[in-house]
Amino acid sequence: MPLSVSLSIEGDTTVIELTGELDAGTAPDFHQTIEKAAGHGTATVEINMAGVGYMASAGLRSLVFARQKVASNVTIKVTGASEPVVRTIRTAGLDRSIVLTDE
Amino acid sequence: MSDSHPPRKARTPLTEPAAGELQVPASFGSLAAIASFVQAVAGRAGLDRRAAYRLRLAVDELATNIVMHGYRGGDGRITVRGRSGPGRARIVVEDSAPEFDPVAGCLPPATELPPEQRRIGGLGIHLALTSVDEFSYVRHDGRNISTLTVQAEGTDPCPPLP
Repeated sequence: MPLSVSLSIEGDTTVIELTGELDAGTAPDFHQTIEKAAGHGTATVEINMAGVGYMASAGLRSLVFARQKVASNVTIKVTGASEPVVRTIRTAGLDRSIVLTDE
Repeated sequence: MSDSHPPRKARTPLTEPAAGELQVPASFGSLAAIASFVQAVAGRAGLDRRAAYRLRLAVDELATNIVMHGYRGGDGRITVRGRSGPGRARIVVEDSAPEFDPVAGCLPPATELPPEQRRIGGLGIHLALTSVDEFSYVRHDGRNISTLTVQAEGTDPCPPLP
């Protein structure tokens, strides 16, 4: 099932918007975009997951990759994630280093 | 001692006709077909969205593990069978990769470590095992056979999910 990934810059935030399903087959597209976002050097990287209906552990690997790729003083925010996606992120303990918000 | 057994109490039957079988190449490209198959079984069992999501996640993680670590990217096949009973769905996943018992191979996430120091991997199996209500594994005839069962929410007490 496809994943669409878009990237934009709003002020000092790089926004990655994901729509579709994030599994081992689709996560590589997300990885490529994370690398681009890391290159922008903004203070915040926001990953909007409102359109993500499903996320497997491959998505967690992508988030870990994002945390490793951007500078440690850059905030990574995940916004709009559905309840099962939030549960998956919390299971991995990633909510300690990535900000989860409802916006 | 008597040879006669009392009539067996009717248990929640899982003896309905099998919902069928899906055989796919062991590749990431097959994950979508496996997901559709699992969702159809969950739908026939009357699982709600949350329970159906848990079952899909578990089967997806197991299949991903078979592709990545079982066959190590080489040729192979994954067989998925489904069965739906009232209020529960059961999926059997089979492969002929080297022996791998998910329960023995499950490493809980190293949540105390910052992500930049984490080993990547191991999380999938943990997610799979914590998403289902019952899990069993056997190695038989050179095949890994995992059986995953999810109850409809509220059907039975589910183990607490982390």
